[in-house]
Amino acid sequence: MKLKMETLNISDLVKTGAVHGDVYKDEAIFEKEMKKIFENTWVYVAHESEIANAGDYKTTVLGTNPVIVTRDSDTEEIHVVLNRCRHRAATVCQQEQGNANYFRCAYHGWTYSNNGDLTGMPFQDGYDEKFDRCKMGLIKVPKVGVYQGFIFASLSEDVPSLEDYLGHARKYIDYVVSTGPEGIALNAGVHKYSFDGNWKLQVENTIDPYHLSVTHRSFFNLVANKTGKRINFSKMHKNEKIRDLGNGHSLYELDGDLGIGALPFNLIIFPNLGFVGSQVRVTRPISVNKTYVSLYPIMLKGVSIEENASRLRKHEGFYGPAGFGTVDDLEVGFDRVMEGLNARVNGAEWLEISRGMNREEIDENGIITATSSDEVSARSLYKEWRRLMVKE
Amino acid sequence: MNGVLIGRKDVEAFLIDEASYLDDGKFSEWLDLFTEDASYWIPSNKDHYDPNTHVSIIYDDKERLGERVWRLQSGLAYGQDPQSKTRHLITNIRVLGQDDQAIIVSSNFIIVELRRSIQTIYSGRFEHKLRINGNSWKIASKKVELINNNEFIGNLSFLL
Repeated sequence: MKLKMETLNISDLVKTGAVHGDVYKDEAIFEKEMKKIFENTWVYVAHESEIANAGDYKTTVLGTNPVIVTRDSDTEEIHVVLNRCRHRAATVCQQEQGNANYFRCAYHGWTYSNNGDLTGMPFQDGYDEKFDRCKMGLIKVPKVGVYQGFIFASLSEDVPSLEDYLGHARKYIDYVVSTGPEGIALNAGVHKYSFDGNWKLQVENTIDPYHLSVTHRSFFNLVANKTGKRINFSKMHKNEKIRDLGNGHSLYELDGDLGIGALPFNLIIFPNLGFVGSQVRVTRPISVNKTYVSLYPIMLKGVSIEENASRLRKHEGFYGPAGFGTVDDLEVGFDRVMEGLNARVNGAEWLEISRGMNREEIDENGIITATSSDEVSARSLYKEWRRLMVKE
Repeated sequence: MNGVLIGRKDVEAFLIDEASYLDDGKFSEWLDLFTEDASYWIPSNKDHYDPNTHVSIIYDDKERLGERVWRLQSGLAYGQDPQSKTRHLITNIRVLGQDDQAIIVSSNFIIVELRRSIQTIYSGRFEHKLRINGNSWKIASKKVELINNNEFIGNLSFLL
């Protein structure tokens, strides 16, 4: 489906309390999102525990650009470089994670140190003094920032500092890190799943308590059968808050334990990072209708193996490719929505995200808040989406 | 069966019966094959590790496996609405070890799953620990080593 740019401006795709269905279906909009969002703002790429030692690296993507996140062998500085040989474009690193002082392209042998500098190539006689080797290193992503061990990168230099970008979300990341007596680590593997749907469906679903008692009824019935305590969702939503933290970030404050994880909140860091249950969630757009999701269980440092094992078991109960919660989201929240979006005539073009607009409150910090069944989070997401998509 | 070596043929019929319960939707009968202290394990990312320090796609004890089956029969497991149709093909059966009480069996599998008009092939290796139970066996553990356990995988709400 091609964008009908002549009839619809990007800025018209988000209006008060509604979002147009094309944002999930239109290939041209997806391409624009990669340029305007994923190549233009801070994007989460890795956690320090994944590249703990000098020479460690991890491959990932910035939008659709393959990158290598490395810890410099000499200085231990963190670099993010494009995973593309400067000669004929082959990726120079194939592994998900590892340790290497050099990346050597297996095509013609160009070799780079793990900070990206070009160190040599076979048969150097073909290049004269005009060939500036210093300019032919792996291309560096210009902005790299670390907050509390979480590594972000931006392909654009025109971004606020990472601290300013995270803004009101910082104290919640601080909290996540403080849950371990000696901090946290993402060193217990990863749940990976994919779905044939748009990436924003997963981000929206990360803070959408409104669906819990419906989509996940079977899970909460199981919990009730086991504990004898049935959650009163109507009451729960009234006691809980969702907060628009600005810059597309939002927060859901839980009232008590839902039985799905340890954190007392869900947090979205726009555009691709989430904190949910006991996990770090990374959403990776592949195409307009394909998305990869990685769930990294948060392991606490300085606690017993049993305590971390019990976090893993609780996480697996609800999340992952076979978790009781995730699979129902995959079907209802993603597959059925993508199918329904094919109906796009006679007023069916728009999706409602207006719930609770009538009862939003704004606190002294300018944070918009409403109850947890309200769509504050989706509105926060599309406010930032629209800002970046129309930004010149 | 004390003292008698058990051969491949003896366990083949058991594995085929187990698979037929799954393919025919007889999930309660399948659940009954497991011992009370059983585990049902689908590793994530790699095949061999300690599940106390690394996340798994599934690491069920009998209680959670019972909940899994309950959910599938509840009419509320949307991940299985529409329901997957499956066929399990089991081959390359080998007895890896045995004693008076139990036998460890390795087999290769292909599971063809059809859901939402999409046919998906899953393949890998099963490792069953079967405990002698009268004239037959009970499953003390079942491990499913998917060859794609480090890929971005689809909805695995059906039983493997």
